[in-house]
Amino acid sequence: MASASCRRPSRPLRDGQRVVVTFWYAFGDLVRKVLLELVDRFNESQSSVLVRAVHQGDYFEALAKLRTAVAAGVAPPLSHVVLEALPYLASTGAVDVLDGYDGARSLALVPALSQQGSFGQNAQAPTYGIPFNRSTPIAYCNENLFRGEGLRVPTSWDELVFTARRLTRLEGATVVRWGFEVPVSWWYWTALVGQLGGNLVDADGTLSLGGPAGEDALRFLQALVHVVRVMRPPPGGDYQAWQSTNESFLQGRVAMMWGSTAFLRYLENNASFPIVASPLPRGIVSSVPTGGTMFVILRSAPEEERRAAWSFVRWMCATDPAIDWATRTGYMPVTRPAADTLGGRGFYMRHPNDRIAYDQLVHAKPWPWARDLFRIERDVVEPILQQAVLTNRDAREAMREAREEANRPT
Amino acid sequence: MTPRSPADPWWMLAPTLVLLTGFFVVPLGVAAYESFFAWDLLTPPRYVGLENYAALARHGALLGIALKTLAYSAIVVAGTLAAGLGLALLVDRPGALFAAVRTSVFSAYVVSWVAVALLWMALLDGSTGLGAGWLRALGLGNVALLGDVRTALPALAAVGVWKLTGYAMIVILSGLQSVPQSLREAAALDGAGAWERFRYVTWPALKPTVAFTATTTLVTSFQAFDAVRIMTQGGPAHATQLFVYAIYEQIFLDFRVGRASALAVVFFALLLGLSLLQVRAFKPSGRTP
Repeated sequence: MASASCRRPSRPLRDGQRVVVTFWYAFGDLVRKVLLELVDRFNESQSSVLVRAVHQGDYFEALAKLRTAVAAGVAPPLSHVVLEALPYLASTGAVDVLDGYDGARSLALVPALSQQGSFGQNAQAPTYGIPFNRSTPIAYCNENLFRGEGLRVPTSWDELVFTARRLTRLEGATVVRWGFEVPVSWWYWTALVGQLGGNLVDADGTLSLGGPAGEDALRFLQALVHVVRVMRPPPGGDYQAWQSTNESFLQGRVAMMWGSTAFLRYLENNASFPIVASPLPRGIVSSVPTGGTMFVILRSAPEEERRAAWSFVRWMCATDPAIDWATRTGYMPVTRPAADTLGGRGFYMRHPNDRIAYDQLVHAKPWPWARDLFRIERDVVEPILQQAVLTNRDAREAMREAREEANRPT
Repeated sequence: MTPRSPADPWWMLAPTLVLLTGFFVVPLGVAAYESFFAWDLLTPPRYVGLENYAALARHGALLGIALKTLAYSAIVVAGTLAAGLGLALLVDRPGALFAAVRTSVFSAYVVSWVAVALLWMALLDGSTGLGAGWLRALGLGNVALLGDVRTALPALAAVGVWKLTGYAMIVILSGLQSVPQSLREAAALDGAGAWERFRYVTWPALKPTVAFTATTTLVTSFQAFDAVRIMTQGGPAHATQLFVYAIYEQIFLDFRVGRASALAVVFFALLLGLSLLQVRAFKPSGRTP
């Protein structure tokens, strides 16, 4: 009996006549609820494929489990991975090339959100990922506080500092409200680097982490914390810091924050004040990275499961589910028909905050298609940024160390 | 007792030896072997010699992790033993009140680390936590104990002390209750005060129990993971990156099996050395008081 219970189920997995697609996902709260409802709708819409969605923690936990499952030969056919990890997974051969799947070339994806648009130097690479939950960083402002101070949303770094100063409140020596907050994180630092005209990888392929722009972006964060003192670095690492920023904003302890468009619906639903979303302010230029995840199909899964997984991916890119997903979460519609339909129905007129991220895509800066991108983010840049901001370490020295580590062969 | 056959002790030891070999010696050997390779689980391993150890030593990363772990353990072991011993002496009395106190203090030990971590995160929150409120009342402003590189490690260790004190108290209490009352009464009749009775009668008898508690608490503190994972994720700026969490980060977040294995080997050597030192320090001197 013990051996029977320990035996791996034979694949392809089936439930009656239906092929079972195990789908590992990494969402909680509202987004999870919306996803599970969409999965149910898909399962009810046809009788040949049954998607079983299994929660696997946050993006990084899910990726760790996925990688381990691939190594153990028990990976599910379908998952979604954070954008920066896609080049690495593609290089290992763990994820399937999707170009040959039925209808893959006619999904009418929003160009900036497709794999080719998200990775500028990857125009010729095969397609490994289909956009799922895609986002950009945007600014969230507490409208009541802005109105009370007679302030407009900042459109430049100088205006950001000025506005944050005006919104920061002291009671004695204690700050009771911070003017601004952003997680000290690779994603937002990348936005600042782009706004200074910097590139993570130079045109000749040198991994420069923005060069002087990378250093100045770090200096700007340090100045907000230590010089003008309008920002408290949110506690915790990874998404704990992101969640902490959201909570501080919702509780009125922060007047303006930068966050993912993914939080739009959550923040609007839970705030006791009106929220105004706005594009990130300009530095020298306007620039934002894109974020979120891509659907991937695991190569180790049996072909029948992979084809069934693709049918779900394709269904999620259909106009109706894509609209449902975007409007109920705050993520961007991933196909042009979905975006056009939303515009045609007047959705963006009624929900101007939802339009910010989509409009901002004209300033989206593609990521380099670099195998080590995810390692550099997690292992090198993120900890050095946090340390440098918290301890006010010399920015040039910190980024020199980051470049040295990033360029070291693994 | 003399064994009937020289093989008899080995037969009796066999189940433990099999388990130790299967779940400890072999995995440690595999980790030591893998520490000479660069491997991300998905692509073939590549022999790199001592590069994983060299990479850990660069920029003082390994030293930093070791020092942070030692500092964390020092606070946890010292704090737990002091609080556990003090409480054991206080509650070593009959009566329902003391039984209730014993139960209350011990209850923290049986609560899961996850629940404890979530509770203390709420208490230590820089803006809304009870602890932050006290610090504000003292005029210290908004202090995020877990968000400051200077205070995060001591704050994390304090949570460890809170969690483990109940365990130390109960073990030391059992040691206390095994010290014959007649010895203390004899010492009292000889004119020994409370301190002398503790120093010359109770403490020598209690020393092996305290040594056991210190060793097990040291091992537990070195294995700290759950609280780090939930409360700080090794941050801020790696200020709470302890050994086990660093191993987890290397293998599961940074895809480096070889470097994680190298960390595990160093971790094992460090823990073995410390345990030997501790056992030696608490070894009975052989002198009778």
